[in-house]
Amino acid sequence: MTSRTVFFNIIRFFFLIFFQVLILNHINLSGYINPYFYIYFILLLPFDTPKWMLLITSFILGLSVDIFTNTIGLNAAACVMMAFARPFVITAISSGPESLLGDTPSLKNQGLKWFLYYAIILTLIHHFTFFYLEIFRFSEFMATFVRMLLSSAFTLFLMLISEYLLYPRGK
Amino acid sequence: MRNLFLFFREHYFYFLFLLLETFSLILLFNYNEFQGSSLYSVSNAVSGSVNSMFSGISEYFSLRKTNRVLIEEMAKLHSRIPEAFYTTDVNVFYKKDSIVHLEYKYISAKVISNSTNKRNNFLMINKGSMHGIENHMGVIIGNKIVGQVVSVSAHFSWIMSMLNKDSRISGKFKKNNQLVNVEWNGGSYRKGQVKEIPKHIVMVKGDTIITSGNSDIFPEGLMIGTISGFKNAQDENFNNGEILFSTDFNSLGYIEVVVDMMRKEKEELKESFKSQ
Repeated sequence: MTSRTVFFNIIRFFFLIFFQVLILNHINLSGYINPYFYIYFILLLPFDTPKWMLLITSFILGLSVDIFTNTIGLNAAACVMMAFARPFVITAISSGPESLLGDTPSLKNQGLKWFLYYAIILTLIHHFTFFYLEIFRFSEFMATFVRMLLSSAFTLFLMLISEYLLYPRGK
Repeated sequence: MRNLFLFFREHYFYFLFLLLETFSLILLFNYNEFQGSSLYSVSNAVSGSVNSMFSGISEYFSLRKTNRVLIEEMAKLHSRIPEAFYTTDVNVFYKKDSIVHLEYKYISAKVISNSTNKRNNFLMINKGSMHGIENHMGVIIGNKIVGQVVSVSAHFSWIMSMLNKDSRISGKFKKNNQLVNVEWNGGSYRKGQVKEIPKHIVMVKGDTIITSGNSDIFPEGLMIGTISGFKNAQDENFNNGEILFSTDFNSLGYIEVVVDMMRKEKEELKESFKSQ
């Protein structure tokens, strides 16, 4: 991990938090859908991030968003769960060393299929934890499930757009 | 001992995960206990200053609407001052101080953050304990209800909107004073649920539900909404209905906090009964 990578990750950390709390939290699509795009930060942490750092930065990320929405612990719990799953997901979907090319996971280096698997599994883990902890009852199971799926789809959509915008392919 | 160390070193990832996850969940589930604690004051102050900066910008977009609401409100108030009445009898406006006591006082405040798209929605307003706001006070807009104060810092207050799973408003039918409970089970922010309507009550679409005044939070007679649909349950003792909220939760600009001047007296009365 070079100091340049560290620098970019710090910038991305603050940018995504403010983007989330100032813009995305005010988005109101049909009263149901609320994207949690800030978890993109956890997806983009470099491959060689120490595991303890992965957990702790995710915890701080979640807690920072929590402070702005007064849901102390909710985003933090979902983020820690997602960070915990990340190494296992990477191992599970990577077939060989060539799939871990480059510094950070990206659509350009790993290809569309790999990145989609990676983003979908982790986003679902985060959103599942988040929505069911927020509601914390099973009586509204199906309604919550629909909200979770729609929000996940929106979050993934934003992630793919950023991938194509920030790392154009074919270079 | 050395093996134990090695064991921890090898599996530290799992232990750290358990530690952080447990810590997050403790924070989450002790939400109510932490309210008013230093953690929440800090969180209120930080999010309050950022939110007020942001709403300072977005305020410009709703100036036209805010003006209209203010003019309407002013017209309403103008029609209430003594000069607006044709006095046939001087005694009508003569009120003795010992008979009339001020029971409710209203503090106006600006909404600086609001949501309607979560399962549990909250609002933040730009006034706090400095201005006399306390926990459990009701929040209204015009004569419609919004929610209640759940956390207060010096300059800001955090309000649980009616659009929250913990929100339960005691209401009644305007036409016959039958008590009901109004809740919100997610979904559209325009519609809520009316629970525990006794079976013998005949409902029609459009029946008005107002606050009952039983909860010490809201004065009696504020608008909650109108019945927009209902289902007659076969096997239960109560019917449930759907209510169309009068409040448009998505366009709250300036709201009022209700200060019940006699709340202390009411609470003391209840306490004295309990302690007997």
